[in-house]
Amino acid sequence: MTDKPPSILRLDGASKTYGSGEFSVKALDNVALEVKGGEIVAIMGPSGSGKTTLLTIAGALLRPSSGTVEVTGIDITNMGESKLAAIRREKVGFVYQSFNLLASLTALENVQIIIQSQSRNGRKPASERALEMLDTFGLSHRLHSLPKQMSDGEKQRVAIARALAKDADLILADEPTANLDAKRGHEVMQLLQQKAIELHKGVVVVSHDVRIRQFASRILWLEDGQIRDHE
Amino acid sequence: MLLVARKNLFAEKTRLAISIGGIALSVFLIGILLSLFRGWSEKVGSFVEDVPADLWVASDRATDFAAAGSLLPDFLGRQLELVPETDVVSPLIVRPLEMSRATDDLDDTFDVQLVGYDPKSGLGGPLEIVKGKSPPGPGEIIVDIAMRNRHGVEIGDRLVRGPKSLTVVGYARGGDFIYTQVGHVTIDTALDFLDFQPQGRTFFVLTLNDPSQAKLVAARMALATPGVKYIPGDEFADDTRDRILGNILPILLVVLVLAFVVGLAVAGLTIYTATVEKQREYGILKAEGFTNPYLYRVVFEQSMVTGILGFLVGAGLTFLVAPFAQDLVPQFVVYVRWQDTVFVAGVTLLMALLAAYVPIRRLASIDPVTVFKG
Repeated sequence: MTDKPPSILRLDGASKTYGSGEFSVKALDNVALEVKGGEIVAIMGPSGSGKTTLLTIAGALLRPSSGTVEVTGIDITNMGESKLAAIRREKVGFVYQSFNLLASLTALENVQIIIQSQSRNGRKPASERALEMLDTFGLSHRLHSLPKQMSDGEKQRVAIARALAKDADLILADEPTANLDAKRGHEVMQLLQQKAIELHKGVVVVSHDVRIRQFASRILWLEDGQIRDHE
Repeated sequence: MLLVARKNLFAEKTRLAISIGGIALSVFLIGILLSLFRGWSEKVGSFVEDVPADLWVASDRATDFAAAGSLLPDFLGRQLELVPETDVVSPLIVRPLEMSRATDDLDDTFDVQLVGYDPKSGLGGPLEIVKGKSPPGPGEIIVDIAMRNRHGVEIGDRLVRGPKSLTVVGYARGGDFIYTQVGHVTIDTALDFLDFQPQGRTFFVLTLNDPSQAKLVAARMALATPGVKYIPGDEFADDTRDRILGNILPILLVVLVLAFVVGLAVAGLTIYTATVEKQREYGILKAEGFTNPYLYRVVFEQSMVTGILGFLVGAGLTFLVAPFAQDLVPQFVVYVRWQDTVFVAGVTLLMALLAAYVPIRRLASIDPVTVFKG
């Protein structure tokens, strides 16, 4: 008998309402979701369906109005700001639509600074790990390049390297292929899929892009803040 | 220094230069004004301080040496000589005047602090003869060397006031009050030149057998001679400083505050705009789990490094410019004290601290969720 893969992310009855009274807007409505290690869950849906709200709640950036959120078995629903920051630092890696690299830092430093921020990593191990990670992503020639000197595809590879470098269990990707052409988008998703399986990460990808379907273990359709469909 | 702070700071070299320039200008202004104040303070009190008298005697209403608003009877000197604790008692006639060289226009005047002294005791006379004869004879004057530097007064020149004149016979050092200089003549010449009442004197200077008893003796003699006050030399020097610099001090303080505000405004604005421009990046760091105190440290370190660099440039400029300015404008007497340099360093740190305050408040309000938009 084999062990069941551990739950990396679990949302149970998660709802989010912005504003109050007659002006309130329910962005997320009673969402239940579980993501296990090595699994890529794609969340698709129209604009305004609550995808980003779901992602930010899963990423410990926003608290749900009701329901519970667990990351690697830790209930973060009612955590204070500094503990949520620690969860983001230690447990969650983000990949953003617009890459979000720090403009004044080189590719190496962009990855290194994130590793350094973790309590368990010193300066030297951080540097070594950042080098190793960028090498894995085929960016050895770009170590000392600033973001403005890199192509969009390279920037997104650096961003994924950064998300994976801190050895977080949960990777949350927001429209990771939106700013890339078809070829680069395919490469990036392939890389993300490969690493998720290899490193046993739980990955949630929020996207409009139908091309990501082929890389997902599961696809959820979100509409009006509710999960309508599973694939 | 944190990597992000260092990289952000040095990535925008023009902005950094403006910020450092603003602080440096402020440090330079504060430094040079303080040095000027110290220089003046040092000069205007030094003559009174350096006269080797234990006590200065003046009439009760007299405020200081420069105004010389004192009138004492000559016989007071003879009475003071009878006091067993006194050693030397010497009279002085002092009057601030405007004079001109005989060869110049009558309107081309300059200030002279005329001091008539008794050449026999020499007390209150020229402190150090640089050139020429001493003591001066009848109708002769020894002027401070600064008078030659500022007004071109040469030995042999005749200095006139109304129908009377004095011939310059020597230069002395130590009587420069910046806006005026001491000119020494004998008591008799002073009486004649100023048409001073023959039995009148401005001050007496006296030395005591036991200088350590100066305050005690002064108090006792003040009781015995109502309307007369006895002041130790250093106190009289301070009174003179207060009189001259007291008028300048409020102006100086206003300029110092303006210099501080200029430095603060330039540093504050450049650091604030840099923070606003990098707002999204600070949001990314927050999203990645960096705490507010870490981000505050980034801005604080940038501000501090800017402040330190601005201080070094400004202080360097002060040390560099001060001697040249003094050569160029003789009245620009500066004295750079290490205590003032430390004070300016403290002011600069305060500037850097305040400059970081508003950007830090801005950081606290950044919502990391915004980094998911666009």
